[in-house]
Amino acid sequence: MIASRRTGRVILVVILVVVMIAPMYLLITNAFKSQHDILTEPFSWPTDGYSFQYLWRALTSPDFNVVAAYGITLFFVVIVCVLSLLVVGPAAYAIARGSRRYHRIVLFILLTGLFIPGSTLVIPVIYVLKTIGLIGTIPGFFLFETTLTVPTTLFLFVAFIQSIPRELDEAARIDGATRYGTFWRVIFPLMRPVVATTVILNAVGVWGDFVDPQFLLGPSSGIYTVTTGIYAAISRLSTDYTTVYPNMLLAAAPVIIFYVFMQKRIIGGLTSGAIKG
Amino acid sequence: MPTSNTTTVGVVAHAAAPAGGFRVRPGALRAKRRETLADIGMLAPALILVGGLIVIPLFFALYLSFTDWDGFTLPAQFVGPHNYIRLFTDPSVLHSIGVTLLITVIGTIVCNVLGLGLAIALNRNTRLNAFLRVLVFYPYIVGPVILGFLWSSILGTDGAVNSVLGQLKQPLLPFLSDPTWALATVICIIVWSSFGVNVVLYLAGLQTVPESLIEAATIDGASPWQVFWRVKLPMLAPTVTVNVVLVVIGLLRVYELILALTEGGPAGSTQSFVYSILSSSFQNSQLGYGAAQSIVLMIGIIIASVGITAARRRSEQAVAA
Repeated sequence: MIASRRTGRVILVVILVVVMIAPMYLLITNAFKSQHDILTEPFSWPTDGYSFQYLWRALTSPDFNVVAAYGITLFFVVIVCVLSLLVVGPAAYAIARGSRRYHRIVLFILLTGLFIPGSTLVIPVIYVLKTIGLIGTIPGFFLFETTLTVPTTLFLFVAFIQSIPRELDEAARIDGATRYGTFWRVIFPLMRPVVATTVILNAVGVWGDFVDPQFLLGPSSGIYTVTTGIYAAISRLSTDYTTVYPNMLLAAAPVIIFYVFMQKRIIGGLTSGAIKG
Repeated sequence: MPTSNTTTVGVVAHAAAPAGGFRVRPGALRAKRRETLADIGMLAPALILVGGLIVIPLFFALYLSFTDWDGFTLPAQFVGPHNYIRLFTDPSVLHSIGVTLLITVIGTIVCNVLGLGLAIALNRNTRLNAFLRVLVFYPYIVGPVILGFLWSSILGTDGAVNSVLGQLKQPLLPFLSDPTWALATVICIIVWSSFGVNVVLYLAGLQTVPESLIEAATIDGASPWQVFWRVKLPMLAPTVTVNVVLVVIGLLRVYELILALTEGGPAGSTQSFVYSILSSSFQNSQLGYGAAQSIVLMIGIIIASVGITAARRRSEQAVAA
């Protein structure tokens, strides 16, 4: 009885590991194989041997500049995370410490976004950005991308600030700090854990976003993030596997490496974000 | 883990509590006005962003849905409820709604059953379990666009699986080239790429079930099966709600994975609702029509998430009563 339960567990674990790892295995090994070997021996040792040439060709290809795409995407991630902190931080502080009716109304307005997925707003947002002349521009993209981070970030921040004793604010005020100064100098430094959580949530969100860079920036802007770049590169060339696999590997590698090192933080951050959001 | 596990429920209640009492000190009025001014400064940036890029677009979407805007000519022509009538008589849109509902229902059930089952199986803190947790979660980090392309290179007609089948002299399997197969494949890959999140969330939920409760039930002679149904599951009710709502919201708007995996094909058989919205908007330049579909989807998402939460709450109250 106990032996058979153990066998059952082992079988379950083996199936799970194979199902989860097989695609990654193919992604990594096939990035170093020739077209002929990918077509005839996708799972096994290639007759032509492994070679870095395909990866190198993808890395230096003029069609899709992967390195530039990393740089642009990373730049977007950093700017949106910083903007989000600058915009949401003070607002969350005002709401968490506020006691008047308008605080609740503002909280309600700011949280509406929790129920409205970004992809359904793309069309009217294009209309708005077009009206103010920011469509297809990086500032317009930043504004919308930052807006999408407001609801979850605000929700987590407000909950956290309310757990910080008000005596700290009082002490800072007696020492002559303004409300703004109190937030940035006294409260914000105490918010490290929740800031880490939201930065991870927002970074993963911005890095993986496809719809907004695709439709708000558009291919005509010539600005490609990793996701829109790989989409443009692969849908054009999808029969040549020596381009497809290396490109996919290049696009996936940085996030996977980041994930391997940061997995505790990432999983923890996303869990606490989801459970509260 | 952040130390902020305490005050989630208190957010709104706390904001409502009066802070200062009723004594009005000299100069208090001026201080209060200064505080309001500071508040405005702190709230304004967030309000402008959300107002300008969520609230106003919401109303614009509503307005656009009654027009024939093509994305270029402003102002748009008013066409009344035409877009909505067209939407509910357009076979391709209705099909995409059907596909989305099918994906959502099956995906929600399978992801949650798998997620909860594996969470219970992996709940002990061993090295292997920690590794498995990292392993099931990684698709979430890699993202749907890359995963879609990866799976299409694995399951396509000349993909990895079919090339092995060919060498074994077996008939090829039309994973992505037959309409029925393609839909099944899409659902399987959606489950594959998202159940890890549920595993992780259920694991976090299981941490909140007190060990003493399980011990007490076991001492009273409950079988592991009874412990699951009578102790763990009721304690996990809020986690179940969160998981179901998250998966439902996520799957109602599924798009990127399908775009990369099948491009909605073959013959439109795997087009989801968001796919239909974006293709009528951008490939066919019918942004008014796309806006009408967006509004329908938004209403659907709100009904689904509010409905599930309410149903859960009612059943919890029924249990309590």
